[in-house]
Amino acid sequence: MNYLKRAMLYLTHKKGQSLLLLLIMSAILVFVLSGLIIQNAAVSATNSVTKSAGTTISVSANRNKMFSKMRSGTSKSKPKTITTPTVSNEKIKKAGKLNTVAYYNITNTASVNASSFDTVSTSTGTSGGGMGMKGGASAGDISIDGVSSTKLTSAFVSKTNKIVSGRNITTSDVNTKNVVIEKELATQNGIKVGDSMTVKMTSSGKKSLKLKVVGIYKAKSTSSSVPGSDPSNTIYTSYTLPATITGTEGKSSTVTYILENSAKEKATTKKIKRIINNSSFSVSSDDASYKQLLQPMKNVQSFAKKIVWLVAIAGTIILALIIILSVRTRQREIGVLVSLGESKFHIVAQLFSELFVILIGAMVVALLLGSFVGNKVGNQLLSQQQTTSVSTTSGSNGGPGGSGAPGSSQTGGGMRGGMATQSAGTTSAANKKTLKTLNTSITPSSVIKLGGMGLVIIALAVCVSAISILRLRPKDILIGE
Amino acid sequence: MLTVKNLTHWYGKSEKPLYENVNLSFESDKVYTIVGSSGSGKTTFLSFIAGLDKPQKGDIFLDGTNIKKLGATNYRKHKVAIVFQQYNLLTYMSALDNIMTALSVTDSEHKGEKQYALDALKNVGIEKSDAEKNVQKLSGGQQQRVAIIRAMLVDANIVIADEPTGNLDGENSKMIIKLFQDLAHAHHKTVIIVTHDPEIADHGDVKISLENCQFVVA
Repeated sequence: MNYLKRAMLYLTHKKGQSLLLLLIMSAILVFVLSGLIIQNAAVSATNSVTKSAGTTISVSANRNKMFSKMRSGTSKSKPKTITTPTVSNEKIKKAGKLNTVAYYNITNTASVNASSFDTVSTSTGTSGGGMGMKGGASAGDISIDGVSSTKLTSAFVSKTNKIVSGRNITTSDVNTKNVVIEKELATQNGIKVGDSMTVKMTSSGKKSLKLKVVGIYKAKSTSSSVPGSDPSNTIYTSYTLPATITGTEGKSSTVTYILENSAKEKATTKKIKRIINNSSFSVSSDDASYKQLLQPMKNVQSFAKKIVWLVAIAGTIILALIIILSVRTRQREIGVLVSLGESKFHIVAQLFSELFVILIGAMVVALLLGSFVGNKVGNQLLSQQQTTSVSTTSGSNGGPGGSGAPGSSQTGGGMRGGMATQSAGTTSAANKKTLKTLNTSITPSSVIKLGGMGLVIIALAVCVSAISILRLRPKDILIGE
Repeated sequence: MLTVKNLTHWYGKSEKPLYENVNLSFESDKVYTIVGSSGSGKTTFLSFIAGLDKPQKGDIFLDGTNIKKLGATNYRKHKVAIVFQQYNLLTYMSALDNIMTALSVTDSEHKGEKQYALDALKNVGIEKSDAEKNVQKLSGGQQQRVAIIRAMLVDANIVIADEPTGNLDGENSKMIIKLFQDLAHAHHKTVIIVTHDPEIADHGDVKISLENCQFVVA
């Protein structure tokens, strides 16, 4: 009967002790496995976040350059005007074809005056006026926000604006006069989907434009960044229409690229800069949402790593102590085997084999319970981390949608940038996705790691207890003088 | 033949040796009994000839080879079998498994032969049903018989017993002594029994008394 058979006999005879060891080792392995699967889940979630966090790269007018140009290039007699720079749509599309770009949103804005309808006016304080103010202000009383797709704009992603009738503006609306108007404006003027409405341009001889209503949206917000203007006076259309209004056909003033993989942000920014190749534009990236999603993952990852190490070290110590105690109670047995001529190596090997069999059992228990425990602990950790992350970033979290999309009005002496900034800013869908759960499934690699760690734990525990076995003198155990 | 030459031993820093220049020879086919009062050092002597401990001075030779050269583990494994007062069986096993373990560990000729072990146990009155029971469920006499069978079946030529009847009644003691005599006379082994009981000592072929630090062969 070799030491392996002896180990099995010992385990089956000492059922209570074996069961106790199994429970202890199972508890250790459940926590080790939980730590490992949380760690794995956090790593894959981090990779997934890296891919889908939707880091944005905005190409917009370089304001500093614009203003310095305005100051230096105008005579004293003429009023100071500012021209928003534009870039050709071909260049924009070329950059959009980069492998790392998931999709992009072009935004152009213009202002016009209402012609066949009344704008919505919100009275505040003593300003009066009320409803029904006829258009005609020099800067235009209607904001035309041209986008590639309304679905991609921050206001729609965040559900501040919601389509209630008809459809969104999409890329199929390019070079059309299709528009989406606000419900209040539609109701006030009795406009329905399919109806037409006319606006007058603020320049170019105050030409009239007939727009076709393809959708009606409802704006939750009642305030606008433009003083005296109501958000209901914002009309969404394809990015080509404002360009037509401002006389910059085939060109656009702002574009936002959403990346496939946030890790490629720097390289993509460089490539886009090279393609745009215009010093009047600034190309800036915004990976705030990526970082915001990534931080809790990193914290969970680090915590899980600590769990694994802590439990492994504690487990080794606990097991070593138990085995040392067990060796003490088995001194006579060891002495008998030594007196028979059994090598101490085989005695240690028997001990290791016993623990190995228990390890197999404990691994089965751990695999059954580890996923459940890992799932609970991991998601609890994640939710705690996200709460912390949200509380530390609240108040400053503008997200990619907040990146400036300056207006492109070329008329008058000022820029209409604010409203566009608020309404037509592009945001990635991923930005609104928060990681609520970790995918804590058991992978073959975590099973291998668990087995490896289990082996290391029992090997260390046996090594420590082997010291006491090797020091045993059979005469002292077996023969009392 | 087991030969002890110039064996001298003392405990720690003790000035007076436990015994000095002991010279003894143990031949096969004989039962040797070593008798002495408690604390006389007989069990310590047994531990030296069993390869469980080393004397301060002197050598032990087995058929002319120093057991130091053989190595203690190898010596215990192949040359010597020990029977203890406390039986020292593996308590998580049956009587049969204890014997099978001994046969396996000592790499004996009859290693793995279950029937051989069962037959030997039957010869000393332990039937198969008892042989397959956990050893702790057997009586003291039965356990000691198992221990002796364990010593008998392995290939070792020297059987050393430390107070083998110490925990047994008269009837069982007689049976055990008979078994030891069989080991020497029928199985041609050298049997060395350490005892403090003069009656048991008288059953040996050679009686050695340990008195005043001297081994006296009667």
